[in-house]
Amino acid sequence: MKGRRLSRRDVLQGSVALAAGTVFASPARAQAPEPVAVTPALVEAAKKEGKLIYYSSMDLPVGEKLGKAFEAAFPGITIQIERSGSERLFQRIDQEFASNIRAADIVNSSDASHFISWKKNGWLMPLVPEDVAKHFPESYRDPDGMFATSRVWLSSIAYNTNLVKPEDAPKSFADLLDPKWAGKMVKGHPAYSGTIMTATFQMVRELGWEYMEKLARQRVMQVQSSTDPPKKLSLGERAVMADGNEYGIVLLKEAGQPVEPVYPTEGTPTISGPTGIFKTAPHPNAAKLFQAWLHTRETQQFFVDFTAQYSVHAQVQSKPGRRKISDIKLMKEDAEGVEKMAEEIKTRYARLFRV
Amino acid sequence: MTITTTDTPKRRIDVTRPVLWLFAAFMIVLIVLPLSWLVVFAFTDKARRPTLQNFVTLFTDPAFLDPLLTTAIIATTSAVICCLVAAPIGWLVSRTDMPGRQTIRALLTASFVTPPFLGAVAWELLAAPNSGMLNQLYRYLTGAEDPLFDIYSLTGLIFVISCYTFPFVFVLVANALDNMPGELEDASAILGGKAWTTARRVTIPLALPALVAGALIAFLQAMTLFGSPAILALPAGFHTMTTKIWSLFQYPPKLELAAAAAVPLLLLTMLLLQGQKFLLGRRGFSVVGGKYGAPRPIEMGGWRWAALAFCLLVLLNPVFLPYFALLNAAFSPNATTLVTPSTATLHNIVFVFTELSSTQLALKNTVILGASTATVGTILALVVAYVTTRRVIASHRLLGFLATAPVAVPGIVLGVGLFLSYTRPPFVLYGTLWILLLAFLTINLPSAYQQLQAAFATIHPELEDASRILGATRLQALRQITAPLLRTGVIATWCFIFIGVMRELSAAIVLFTSQTKVLSVLIYDLNESGDLAAISVLGIAMLVITFAVVLAVNRIPMFGGGAGARLRNS
Amino acid sequence: MASVDLRGLTKRFGSLAVVDNVSLKIDHGQLVCLLGPSGCGKTTTLRLIAGFLEPSDGEIHVGERLVSSKTRTLPPEQRNMSMIFQSYALWPHMTVTENIVYGLRLRKLDRDTIAKKLAAILATTKLEALAQRYPGELSGGQQQRVALARALIVEPETLLLDEPLSNLDANLREEMRFEIRRLHDEYRYTTVYVTHDQSEAMTTADMIAVMNGGRIDQLGTPEDIYARPESEFVARFIGASNVIKGTARDANHVAFAGATLKVVGAPLTPGQGAVVAIRQHDIGLATQAPASPENAIKAVVTRQVYLGVARDYMLEVADGTSLRATAPTETNVPKGSEIWLTLPPERCRALSR
Repeated sequence: MKGRRLSRRDVLQGSVALAAGTVFASPARAQAPEPVAVTPALVEAAKKEGKLIYYSSMDLPVGEKLGKAFEAAFPGITIQIERSGSERLFQRIDQEFASNIRAADIVNSSDASHFISWKKNGWLMPLVPEDVAKHFPESYRDPDGMFATSRVWLSSIAYNTNLVKPEDAPKSFADLLDPKWAGKMVKGHPAYSGTIMTATFQMVRELGWEYMEKLARQRVMQVQSSTDPPKKLSLGERAVMADGNEYGIVLLKEAGQPVEPVYPTEGTPTISGPTGIFKTAPHPNAAKLFQAWLHTRETQQFFVDFTAQYSVHAQVQSKPGRRKISDIKLMKEDAEGVEKMAEEIKTRYARLFRV
Repeated sequence: MTITTTDTPKRRIDVTRPVLWLFAAFMIVLIVLPLSWLVVFAFTDKARRPTLQNFVTLFTDPAFLDPLLTTAIIATTSAVICCLVAAPIGWLVSRTDMPGRQTIRALLTASFVTPPFLGAVAWELLAAPNSGMLNQLYRYLTGAEDPLFDIYSLTGLIFVISCYTFPFVFVLVANALDNMPGELEDASAILGGKAWTTARRVTIPLALPALVAGALIAFLQAMTLFGSPAILALPAGFHTMTTKIWSLFQYPPKLELAAAAAVPLLLLTMLLLQGQKFLLGRRGFSVVGGKYGAPRPIEMGGWRWAALAFCLLVLLNPVFLPYFALLNAAFSPNATTLVTPSTATLHNIVFVFTELSSTQLALKNTVILGASTATVGTILALVVAYVTTRRVIASHRLLGFLATAPVAVPGIVLGVGLFLSYTRPPFVLYGTLWILLLAFLTINLPSAYQQLQAAFATIHPELEDASRILGATRLQALRQITAPLLRTGVIATWCFIFIGVMRELSAAIVLFTSQTKVLSVLIYDLNESGDLAAISVLGIAMLVITFAVVLAVNRIPMFGGGAGARLRNS
Repeated sequence: MASVDLRGLTKRFGSLAVVDNVSLKIDHGQLVCLLGPSGCGKTTTLRLIAGFLEPSDGEIHVGERLVSSKTRTLPPEQRNMSMIFQSYALWPHMTVTENIVYGLRLRKLDRDTIAKKLAAILATTKLEALAQRYPGELSGGQQQRVALARALIVEPETLLLDEPLSNLDANLREEMRFEIRRLHDEYRYTTVYVTHDQSEAMTTADMIAVMNGGRIDQLGTPEDIYARPESEFVARFIGASNVIKGTARDANHVAFAGATLKVVGAPLTPGQGAVVAIRQHDIGLATQAPASPENAIKAVVTRQVYLGVARDYMLEVADGTSLRATAPTETNVPKGSEIWLTLPPERCRALSR
């Protein structure tokens, strides 16, 4: 793995400069359906259904805010958000489908590899929103139109500024192995969180399992979701976050909490979260409407502004004052790699961290 | 009075037996089906070929042996701590003139209502090593570097489990001491026994069965608990059997191993229940014969205030401190910062009730499930207790066994069993509230059954016979005579089950879907993402609902409020 | 006509026959006592009649109707019977009135009829003043009367009583005994009365069935049972009898303790062992040898107790048999003295079993 050390930093056009490395390998023949816009007819059909069930791993306040924005845009449709760690959502969707329960309309996972499985199973409904066709780079949309990357975010290091002086703060993943951080770190768990699964894959690829082995000896406080470490950090429960949502840290910092992100010198793990509709959605029109709406420039801009995540929409501008993703050294994504290695990661991780 | 024609009751078919057999069949399906699937899975491989490989894996892999050992340590220590704390408090409340006895008893009984997972979250707020409020206070007062107490540790977990388990032991001990006539102690005193001798030779041995039963319950609770370990063990870096079993359900699910991992818990429970029987033997511990007066409370003089202080100190842990922490977090912008009038915010409450889209559904589901499980469960337990105490049908022993058997099955294991049973024809219930109803029913049946069985035992069978011979069918007699006489017991059982449903997480976590989410699962999910303030709001809402429902049920006119006084002399 | 007819009734719990082949025909309007010590199967028999238990064998007929058999048992509520329980079994959550009219309500009688019948039974049982009380607020005797009223108001064909007086104190017991008989005479239902108290049985019953070991040992009128016991068990259980064991000389003479007793009762087989019963107060005591040597035996006083109305003697005859005798207080013979006993032939009953 270490041999493939890829730290490409490709500069993208527009505000959201992102690695153009293919997240998903494109098949030879792509047959995406005709792009769909938010039409009055679609809105009408969606309102008739009146409801949308959205499985998502987004941090709850963020996700609920997105839901409220959708409800405000299309009064008469209520959205129910099922938030859980992506790996748990994956398991639950698997369990529900196996039992012929079709509760979910639309899903946003923080483990892009899940879409490979779902697509393979034939569970997804093709739908290409107009904006995706026009403004999304090819590498961030499924050639068959089954899903598109709605958001991109990072799993970074961070520290509590009350507990750690900036000059003492870790600068790299390697720094976290310093004995002075023993018992002072918090991190998420790849068996529950898709973000951590994706990040762990990239870190293992770049730094090797030895790094994880050493980190495990640092008596790290283990939580489940990648949304939790920023909160534990801001409470002052731990001084340093070894992995977790960078956007959580940015939002907390903007809210005046004593936290500061650190973009490790080895590169910051990058996660893209695609959204796709299930073929068996009980509210298919509402799901289509949501999918089309979610990927419009307006929504993407709004989303980027209030969630501090990143968009691959070519016309979306980053919020003034925030760090541009193009200024951050990123680790490369590889959804297929994650899919192949997920089982191994869960097993080896559980052995190392004993939970 | 003149004798005219004899009023022969019309001939009717006695539907009692078919009805009873129907109940029996339901019980068998309810309990045998999930357990059978568990056994099948434990002893087969993925292709359902018989194998012992699951157990070999289990007993050779340290990833399984460690949790087993941890669980044994937790269960044993918790049981010992519970007895050490509950026995003296039970004695103080029941046999002495300590001031505020009734209040202490009420508070301890009320602490049943606290779900263990909520208690664990509250203690996270209090005693997380760095952000915990108690540790902050300790550092502030002493200037120390190290925390006073780390809740994310084995000790911390044992502490929290004990906090929410010892009330069970307390209730058993206090009730046993309540029912022990004072004359027994007087008889020892008059024969020359000094106070301590009397306590040692009479009081303690007579309270022993309750204590043993209490220790057993504490042990089983601690062993099968999922909520507290799920919240505290992961950050502490270890697994218990229940969290390990839960992790085996994660993708890709290893149901065979999960089922096999349940077998040691199952066997241990059965062994313990047998051991209790053997230990107590045939000695008469239930008080026999004669009429007894109320016991004389022991006068403690100046020590009564010390005793009260001790009780209040103990009560800090399950009641006062956690609820303070939850209330604080509900109104505070930062969950572990002491709220002041200037920082107080309604943001968390607004978030939970207006923005969080699962709140209403979870509330609705929980109340529906709580009420229906309590109703169905009470009826079922009533019938089974009736059949076993009155030996109505030949297989009454089997029914009694079936109703008690779920005690031996941890909720999370039962969850898998139910999942396996009800995701395939003929009963496809997964994804509906029915499967949760079945799960909650099964989990709460043993305690409901035992409560009602005890209640039945106090009702003379001739009361029913008298009704039958006057022309009532068995069901009429049950409805008109037995049920009203069991009123108190029935209400208590109903409330007990309702509270049990509110507390239940371990089976629900396996069986819920997005449309059948309950409060406990919602709280667990919120804990996963670290939304402690939202948990606090929901937890308090949950308690308010529980108390409101319990109060309301006790006032339902159908149960004839006030009739209690009439029963006193009979 | 509702006679109660038990035919070969048997109830086994496991291998133990608690009721063993009991046959008994109770005519309509008769009051029969099942009398016996505890464990003799009398309550089980009663519960079989009531339908609370199913027989292992045999049948119960009420009038023309087969109500219990091995294969089919009519449930209690369809037997038109009433029962008074040892514990009274008053429902503590119902007032006296509610308790009493319960059976009528089950029969769906109209309000007026119920009120009329209630008033009548309250008057009969002198409970008018207590009608609105709860059972917990009544004394034992009052509770007993409520139980009676509750059982009688439904005008059953058959009334069953299970030790109904055992929880009352002595005075009340005496009073209620006659009350039960009076009500029986008034309503003339068929009554089965279970008791272990022979004087209760004597004063109330038309017929007494003495039960022992699950069987009816002897069935007869109170006088039959008392005066003409057929078995050693009945002789001992009913009244205070001495049982003497000797050898038959001929059909009505028994050799005992060096004397020959002339006896009545079952004919004897010469040379065989004979069992003879004689009541304590039938034995005559004299310090002088009686004029006629017939049925006279010499004995020694081993104990003498003054009882107020009489003296109670313990006597030992030549072969070592101890006899008890009751004598007027003026017959005062000190312990250790020799004494002559006269056992009147018409009081010496040879027992068939």
